[in-house]
Amino acid sequence: MTHAELDPIRLEVYKHLFASVAEEMGVVLRKSAYSPNIKERRDYSCALFDTQGAMISQAAHIPVHLGSMPLSVLEILRVFHGSQALESGDMVILNDPYRGGTHLPDITLVAPVFENESSTAPIGFVANRAHHADVGGMQPGSMPVASEIFQEGLIIPPIKLIARGQINPAVLDLILANVRTPMERRGDLFAQIASNRRGIDRLLEMTRRYGLDEINQYMRGLLAYTERMLRNLIRSLPDGAYACTDYLDDDGLGHQRIPIQVRITIEDDSACVDFTGSAPQQAGSVNAVLAITMSAVYYVFRCLVGLDVPNNSGCMAPIRLIAPAGSIVNALKPAPVAGGNVETSQRIVDVLLGALAQALPSRVPAASQGTMNNVTIGGWDDRTDTAFTYYETVGGGMGARSDRDGASATHSHMTNTLNTPIEALEYAYPLRVLRYEVRDYSGGAGKYHGGDGIRRDTMVLTDAQVSLLTDRRELPPYGLAGGASGSCGQNVLIRDGEELPLPGKGTLQLRKGDILSLRTPGGGGYGAPDSTAND
Amino acid sequence: MPSCAGLPQQVSCWRVNMAKLSIGIDIGGTFTDFVVHDPAADALRSFKLPTTPHDPSVAVLEGLASILKPDSTARIIHGSTVATNALLERKGVATALITTRGFRDVLQIGRQNRPQLYDLFADPPTPLVKRDWRYEVDERVDAQGNVLIALQDAQVDGLAAQLRLQGIASVAICLLFSFLHPEHEQRIANVLRRGGFFVSASHEVLPQHREYERTSTTVINAYVSPILDRYLANLETAIHSVALKSSVDLRIMQSNGGIISPAEARSNGVHCIMSGPAGGVVGALTVARAAQPPGAEVKIISFDMGGTSTDVSLCEGDIQTTSEASVGGFPIRIPIIDIHTVGAGGGSIAAVDAGGALRVGPQSAGADPGPACYGHSDTPTVTDANVVLGRLPGAYFLGGRMPLDEARAWHAIGELGARIGLSATETALGIVAIANAHMERALRVISVERGYDPRDFTLVSIGGAGGLHAAELARRVGIRSVLIPPFASTLSAYGMLAADVVKDYGITVMLPGNIDAVTLATQFQPLVDRCMHEALAEDVGPENIVIQQSLDMRYHGQSYELNIAFSPDYRTAFEAAHARAYGYHRPDVATEIVNLRVRAIGRVAKPPLQTRNASHGDSQPALLETRQVMFDRQLNVPFYRGELLQPGHALHGPAIIVRNDTTVLLNSGDNAVIDAHRNIIITVPTDGSNEATP
Repeated sequence: MTHAELDPIRLEVYKHLFASVAEEMGVVLRKSAYSPNIKERRDYSCALFDTQGAMISQAAHIPVHLGSMPLSVLEILRVFHGSQALESGDMVILNDPYRGGTHLPDITLVAPVFENESSTAPIGFVANRAHHADVGGMQPGSMPVASEIFQEGLIIPPIKLIARGQINPAVLDLILANVRTPMERRGDLFAQIASNRRGIDRLLEMTRRYGLDEINQYMRGLLAYTERMLRNLIRSLPDGAYACTDYLDDDGLGHQRIPIQVRITIEDDSACVDFTGSAPQQAGSVNAVLAITMSAVYYVFRCLVGLDVPNNSGCMAPIRLIAPAGSIVNALKPAPVAGGNVETSQRIVDVLLGALAQALPSRVPAASQGTMNNVTIGGWDDRTDTAFTYYETVGGGMGARSDRDGASATHSHMTNTLNTPIEALEYAYPLRVLRYEVRDYSGGAGKYHGGDGIRRDTMVLTDAQVSLLTDRRELPPYGLAGGASGSCGQNVLIRDGEELPLPGKGTLQLRKGDILSLRTPGGGGYGAPDSTAND
Repeated sequence: MPSCAGLPQQVSCWRVNMAKLSIGIDIGGTFTDFVVHDPAADALRSFKLPTTPHDPSVAVLEGLASILKPDSTARIIHGSTVATNALLERKGVATALITTRGFRDVLQIGRQNRPQLYDLFADPPTPLVKRDWRYEVDERVDAQGNVLIALQDAQVDGLAAQLRLQGIASVAICLLFSFLHPEHEQRIANVLRRGGFFVSASHEVLPQHREYERTSTTVINAYVSPILDRYLANLETAIHSVALKSSVDLRIMQSNGGIISPAEARSNGVHCIMSGPAGGVVGALTVARAAQPPGAEVKIISFDMGGTSTDVSLCEGDIQTTSEASVGGFPIRIPIIDIHTVGAGGGSIAAVDAGGALRVGPQSAGADPGPACYGHSDTPTVTDANVVLGRLPGAYFLGGRMPLDEARAWHAIGELGARIGLSATETALGIVAIANAHMERALRVISVERGYDPRDFTLVSIGGAGGLHAAELARRVGIRSVLIPPFASTLSAYGMLAADVVKDYGITVMLPGNIDAVTLATQFQPLVDRCMHEALAEDVGPENIVIQQSLDMRYHGQSYELNIAFSPDYRTAFEAAHARAYGYHRPDVATEIVNLRVRAIGRVAKPPLQTRNASHGDSQPALLETRQVMFDRQLNVPFYRGELLQPGHALHGPAIIVRNDTTVLLNSGDNAVIDAHRNIIITVPTDGSNEATP
């Protein structure tokens, strides 16, 4: 469809209609889920797809899910066809990062939408992805420093969890038998099912009201609309090549200073984003599958284009992505990937923004904390005589902007999960939080200061195992235009009053009464500090 | 009418003495509205004065001076934006916060999320208490309410002096788990109150878990209450100087749709943040209730389309409140009327974006410069689109007091259309369709998405701009009946006259969901006693107090709760509510009772709505003229003068009713009657004749 054939009025109306399907799915998922990770922290996303697997709308939840969900639908289109074709009432579950997933805790449910029971071809797909706090594997929380993916947890290839409306109890039993917290998982999966069902109902309702032809027409129209907006943005950038390299501290297994390199070439209204030169995939779990790298690229361009653009696959149309197979930005099986999603994705954003800062200096901030500070604590809760798994990510400093300081103590870029309230977590787990405060002077100096990180100290009230998956402990977030770097983060064990430094990534056994003190990085500063007299 | 017989001496029954004037006053951004019931004349009248933003009491007193006579007795119910503005404009008092050691930054960190995912320049709101004014004390209570670190007097002794040195006027106290063990907060509060500070303590304001939301609510209360206190003190003094011999009884509207005494409001300012919108919904509910046969359950969706935004709220039997509201980016977790707002109103600006889509809102032309047809700009808006379509003839606007510049509206819409290759009328139809789509979405959010069937509800249009859109929106969401009350634009002030005394209490208990109802009733008792006591203190007789008990419940392991009326069979009620809200339930899974809630409603007598007998006459005298109006095609449409329509008159769409306060559009197939209260009741066909025009 060409621009001229679109009705600008219906285009606007459909934009809201499609967005509302995904948003409503999100409300159902959030409110009916079980685990604090989904309900309190909102670590999930919901989206609507056309028959080809192009994403039409996504509720604005978690950026790292944004660009990666279409690959789930594409995988399902690849697997289920011919005699295996999906039927009305089917729902497919998956988490295999090498088959449409991202990392194992993110379980995705995809449902085809059929106009009626006897339809043979779907009219679209709805899908949601939620981070489950445990999917088995070598450590509680399923975010270990592993050396192969099989240690990270249960791998679920695309299989039908629901066939013609009936849950397959064998699939559910198999999953629940492999996780530490089956009750919670079951509840969360039911919430995911309810969410998709709501999405199906809404899309069908729209179809009855407006007709399938028009729905299809405007699905395509909105993809083209977002593409136009992206092309306008890219055309506004000076043609040229912009390169940036930054590093992950380590892979948790001793390999340090892992480069991620990008070269962005802008030519008229399209961009080539080339990660050639990035490190090969690593032994430790910092590998990103292609879906993650796509999400990071998508996120950065989505930010620069402005607020009010539909979140759909049209965003990627003007962008050619080169990510060498077998590299840290396009890992191959059986590389472990738990941290690719949560840590490497942040560094990919850092290099993308670092490159684009050269083209758009006033609109790109200095580096933000560049990590999600993942911490998982698991063990046995004597109070309830059950296993517990607590997963948290911690905010930090944001990079300063060309006209203002960076925000302190908040999540940046690829995540926006909420914290677990202290009064909720102490009720649910044998843990006690002793401090939760802004980490003073951790933001980088500059004409505008980087935001400060957070200090969060948690005491375990029982022996427990803790997994840390954190970065920017060795190499700080960069400043821009002469601004100083932010402070590195620190992980500290406080045992009997004594502070012992901990590595950025690793697993350790805590004793009852031990305190885990997380001090998260500050953001980079912007502009030379002496360029204003006093601020 | 309430009776005072048999009551103890000290409890005087606050009844509506029918010799008393009843005056509802709502201060809005542009106008201050008055609705007056005079029992002597058995008349209800309303008027508006321009709001005086520098001191809102000026307009209030001017209005009162015109109503009160030296010997009047009056009951005044007042809703005001004083607390709201203090919060939104950050003009509250110098406020300190006292927290458990290690947690003073909870207020700043919030839930550690950023407000916009894809905006690198958007920041979380700056906390209301700056860091230097957040104090920590050594104390700690655990999740079971056990004291781990006892608060020492030495921690508290020096505080007052420190705060005074900083020029602090007001103090919020929020300690971890204080809802389980309030004693530490109480001791600090006692010392500071003796020291002359205004104190807002979290165990009093919101004794519920989730420390950030509780802190935020407690801080807002500390920040705005002294402002409201000062305003009310001035107002009370001034009222007595205006009406020296008058006996005036003042009540304040709250965000939960109920009223409280000024004394209560002055220490609980956070309860008054949404008083104006709450008045509107109570007003809508009251007129809808009066329009139905007695005893029938009232199910309405109130629809308040203003200049910048549109508020919608669903009521099933009674108004609904939410504990998940946010104002100005700050969570407020006390029960507040559940209103959903979208950025589409009469003044919403239409524009074409870089991708070639026609946009409407959220930017608004406001009242100044206003829509193009106001004559001060060339900005095309929803109101201009209605002018172009012939639905809002310039000569009739506000009863002819403010003629609209139709040519300017045509020009503005025409220019916009030229950019996307559409005629002015096509563009205008598009603007109305997009604005309707925004408002339709809001109606769906509060109804269909929450498991309510819109066909069971009546859409009550309040505010001036809604009359042109209400019937069309009803059609789009499947609502069959629309009610437009006779004083649509001052309904909020009327709602204040009709509001009951409402007291809400909730406390976090974390009990297993299999606890028997008798035990639970014992747990409720202290709350019920407190609620009853405070309702009696509002001068309501005990026979007029209704106590509602409810539970916030969830399945074990969930972290959002559903509010369930307390009954012996509460577990079954929870399952049903869960199934309705989320499409499934799990009777095999254990449940938890998170919060107990008690609401005391003190029924006060309401000024009766005027009733007139049906006229069998013809509506012809009200017919003004027939004009061309644009729908999907041009139609000849009769225009009626609303003030001349009599009860019993029936109209058939297409038709337009012009009134001084609003203009009402009937589409083809709509039928309207004027009822005994002069409401316009529109019946909208739901036979599928509404062709899908998004």
